[in-house]
Amino acid sequence: MESSSSTRTVKPAAPGEQEVALRHLPPVAQAAFRHFTASGDVTALDPVILAILEDYIPRPPERPLAEMPGETRLIEDLGFDSLAITEVVFFTEDLLEIRIANEEIFQVRTLDDLRGFVRRKASARVRS
Amino acid sequence: MPFQPVITGLGFITSIGNDRASVIRSLRALQHGFEPYVFLDNPDLPVKVAGTVKGFAFPTPSWRDWSWPPNFSVDRELVRGLAPHGVFAICAVQQALAEAGLEPAQLAGGETGLFCASAGSPFLLGHFLDQMRATRGERGNPMGIVSSIAGTLNFNLAAHYKISGAVCGFVSACASSSHALGYAMDEIRLGRQQRMLVIGAEDMTTESILPFSTLRALSNNPDPATASRPFDRRRDGFVGTGGAVALIVEDAALARRRGARIQAELVGWGQAGDGHSVAASHPEGAGLREAMRRSLADAGIPPAAVDYVNAHATSTPAGDRSEALALQALFTANGAKPRVSSTKALTGHGLSLAGAMEAAFCVLAIDEKFIPGAAHLEEPDPVCEGLDLPRTSLDEAPSLVLNNSSGFGGSNVCHLLRRPT
Repeated sequence: MESSSSTRTVKPAAPGEQEVALRHLPPVAQAAFRHFTASGDVTALDPVILAILEDYIPRPPERPLAEMPGETRLIEDLGFDSLAITEVVFFTEDLLEIRIANEEIFQVRTLDDLRGFVRRKASARVRS
Repeated sequence: MPFQPVITGLGFITSIGNDRASVIRSLRALQHGFEPYVFLDNPDLPVKVAGTVKGFAFPTPSWRDWSWPPNFSVDRELVRGLAPHGVFAICAVQQALAEAGLEPAQLAGGETGLFCASAGSPFLLGHFLDQMRATRGERGNPMGIVSSIAGTLNFNLAAHYKISGAVCGFVSACASSSHALGYAMDEIRLGRQQRMLVIGAEDMTTESILPFSTLRALSNNPDPATASRPFDRRRDGFVGTGGAVALIVEDAALARRRGARIQAELVGWGQAGDGHSVAASHPEGAGLREAMRRSLADAGIPPAAVDYVNAHATSTPAGDRSEALALQALFTANGAKPRVSSTKALTGHGLSLAGAMEAAFCVLAIDEKFIPGAAHLEEPDPVCEGLDLPRTSLDEAPSLVLNNSSGFGGSNVCHLLRRPT
């Protein structure tokens, strides 16, 4: 089993997969991701992760996730189920070329948790 | 009073129409649903025609790239677990519920069961397995299994409609949805369920259709107007299609209590195996003949009372011959001469979808008072001598209609439908 401190990267399944994956996200999120890859600025990932959530959320939210408070809970408030969370995890792993362990997933409960978690994982990747 | 299964609602996503009115128009006018189709971008393949389903597109395995006609609603929460034929099925069920005067919430609770039939989605399954191999098992879609294996229809629809009655999938190849409908009749007749939702569906993809070319079962005729011509001397194989058909089967007493319009009664069904070959039909149609006999015996009806037979005939040389011989043995030899046609001349062969689709066509024939003609039939095979194969659709109101289906391994299933009394 992977440890939660693992920084081993995951190769995309096919060349260009990141661009293919991004095409479903809004232009703002695509631009933010490209800024992150060019600059290493992990704060640029905030709109990306929200766009990923909105792409996989089982029932569309009443208002954009960016307008919701940071303590909004993924499961209880937004209606994510385990399958949708797994989809988000796989997508994020492929996009950022990181590995997310099961025990890490269980520690992420809110939008703020998720933003912070993704920044930390991406920082570790940038440094490695 | 014994329980009597009746049909109160139909839904169609087919190559000849995506609603009841369009399907009736196509059956009456003998308008086929075929188009030129290039499989795998390979123009050298000899198979060049398919029974396409119009208004839907599934260009990639990702549901984000899929589209369907705007008059249907497929929730995001649902579509992520569906195969293309699951999308067809949801659209067909929406029509059937509306026609039966039912709200989706009325399927919840234990009085309604769900019987489904499809072969799963070779399109999605192949993609997911390729992905698993390419990533050495490190990646996968968590919905991959439930969206692609046989059973995907019942998994998804039972959960979506919160059905807590009997839920089951049937796998007998091209007889699958006929088995689903037959056993649904029994659930009603045995008093186990008051209502059954029955669905047959298949993807309309290269992965579902082209493998049949290895059996030399597909037509190599490039002309959409003649590629599917059951019982014709020049037939050379079937044309593949997909889609979904949904039927609402209820106990007559329940239907009457809630004021639903009864379109047809299901009065008998029968099944029999060929005991002969894994892929080929019995040369004299022995199993099909026995299945027809058993369905008539189940209803206590003599062959002479049958007005119309919707034949299984797929347009393959061997299969149509077997069915013609079976029909002669059961009907002609007993002095009976029902009208006979195969609507696969118009739709193509829908595999697991076929039985439910053609049972629904039989309901339309009864309810709309017409008999679909034997389309594209120009030179009847001499083996069909004595069979009444009308070249055009007829304004005749059949009272008793027999629906035939046959599948791999020699599975034969027949239903007998009757005008409501």
